[in-house]
Amino acid sequence: MHKLTPTAIAVSDFYSDGEDARHYTFRLREAGAMAGGRYGQFFMLAVPGVGEAPFSFTALPDDQGVFRALIRRMGAVTSALFALPTGAVLGARGPFGSAWPIAELARQRVLVVGGGCGLAPLVGLTNQLIAQGQCEVLGLVYGARSAAARVLSPERQRWQTQIPMVEVVDDPAFPGPTGSPVDALPLALSKLARAPNRIIVCGPEAMMCAVADHFTRRGLPAECIWLSVERRMHCAVGLCGHCYLEHQYACKQGPIYRWDALQNLLSDRPRQQALTHHYHC
Amino acid sequence: MRIYEIEAPHILSRFLAASRQVYQPQADEVGDIRWRLLEDGESQPLPEAPALVSPKALFFAGQENLFVFDGECFRETLPQPEPFVVFGAPACDLHAIAYQDRFFAEDPYYQARRRQALLVGIDCAKPCEQGFCVSVDAGPGVDPATADLILHPLDARRYLLLVCGERGAAAIADLAPPAADEALLDTRDQRVRACAATFAERPYLARGIRALNNNRVPPSLWQALGVQCLSCSGCTTLCPTCSCYDRRDVVGADGEVEAQRLWDSCLYESFQREASQHNPSAAAGERVRRFWQHKFGAEFVAEFGRAGCVGCGRCEQTCPGVIGVHAVMQRLAEHA
Repeated sequence: MHKLTPTAIAVSDFYSDGEDARHYTFRLREAGAMAGGRYGQFFMLAVPGVGEAPFSFTALPDDQGVFRALIRRMGAVTSALFALPTGAVLGARGPFGSAWPIAELARQRVLVVGGGCGLAPLVGLTNQLIAQGQCEVLGLVYGARSAAARVLSPERQRWQTQIPMVEVVDDPAFPGPTGSPVDALPLALSKLARAPNRIIVCGPEAMMCAVADHFTRRGLPAECIWLSVERRMHCAVGLCGHCYLEHQYACKQGPIYRWDALQNLLSDRPRQQALTHHYHC
Repeated sequence: MRIYEIEAPHILSRFLAASRQVYQPQADEVGDIRWRLLEDGESQPLPEAPALVSPKALFFAGQENLFVFDGECFRETLPQPEPFVVFGAPACDLHAIAYQDRFFAEDPYYQARRRQALLVGIDCAKPCEQGFCVSVDAGPGVDPATADLILHPLDARRYLLLVCGERGAAAIADLAPPAADEALLDTRDQRVRACAATFAERPYLARGIRALNNNRVPPSLWQALGVQCLSCSGCTTLCPTCSCYDRRDVVGADGEVEAQRLWDSCLYESFQREASQHNPSAAAGERVRRFWQHKFGAEFVAEFGRAGCVGCGRCEQTCPGVIGVHAVMQRLAEHA
């Protein structure tokens, strides 16, 4: 049977990490309560009195039940969370959904593309790929709408020293490369020893579609591109209906999809938006 | 299948009431037929007209607590209902329960209620106004796979009682009604077939479903249907297979938090709207399209073994925008 009741967690720590964003550390009251997770999967955070919302793990629960998530203040649940001090008791359920195909990326030439808060679901994967050291090529492109909106600063600083990386900001006044992550792809490719043959992308839907289109137009099969979709969710187990993508549920068959599967589930709208580049990270 | 004869449905309902609560369709003070818990000793004839609502809420509650939080701990609040009978459900509604049994197979709240229920179906003797169960393989005779007991009216003073399985057999073991002639099973089949033959021909249904699944419906038609959708949730509330729910937390005077779920509608503009205001289904036509896809889409039929529509016609009856199942399928059929 599905468990729709959260398990208790405490807010261990947090620090400001981007505009209206914080990197949180939580601790499970029962250390083994959310075991068995893989990167790309998500958990439901319950702020009692307000509700539940889905978030990606930036670090999966360790032996002590400590896990982390990058959270941006956006709606009722996150606003209530930001008002709470360390030590506050909250709830969590998970892990849920599909994961990044880490095993399929070994010995491949991988480019990770993140936009805005969409970098959060990519943190664990990127760290793991770097630690394993099995990719023939591994690079990262990150874009944000402004310099201040960039999230996950400590991680990005560390990755700069570890892998080829391009950061792009959608602000003409930015001293570095400007535009969207798609605009920065040529620069990123020039930094890689060989052209990538596996693409991992997470960000605003229109941006993900644009990245996928960029590579499929250049001959990369859709089977070599993975994306993480975001949808409103209440149950995380395929019951409440809110995260539907046609006949599937993003919480169940997703949130990680291969592009050949996902493109048939999206309506035309985001793709059209993507083609005209009217999106923001 | 064992088969018995009784004089009237209330003989069975009174007997079952000795050990169970009995829910039965009854006209309320304004004449709407709804499922109501009978009081002790109360006995009512089954209404001839179909119920305005299905028995869906007896299993998937319109509003219920999922868990409570006392400031330190979360505690699951599973319902603990007494054994109960759903008495006098038509074939379409029983197919809907079977459908939801599959959808909610892993939902502990639904299953806590479902485990306690005995399903007593009754064969329909004539078509109802908007019903088309015949066209979607959901009636008018009760499918024994969807009920524990089936009543079949032979005439005003004679009913067949069919026992569909062990649960039904155990429920009437002490009633010991007289056995009926086995040949009456054939009589029932003939009468059900004769009733089915009196349903109106609705060729647009198959054509509409074909157009939907072949993706032949132009976006402009969905847009036009979307204009007619008032997002009132009448269809999704009355649809016996609709299952979407919302969540809300309610803080009590003592500070205890009740985490509730309540019926939601995929036709609301805000159904998929995220905290960022990104809304993948902001267009009303898109929401209407997906609603019908959920009822008749081939992928859902493959997953659940039948259409999500059981032909009750309640959406047609209730929709103020005149985009119930018949109206929509007639317009879709033009593109088959």
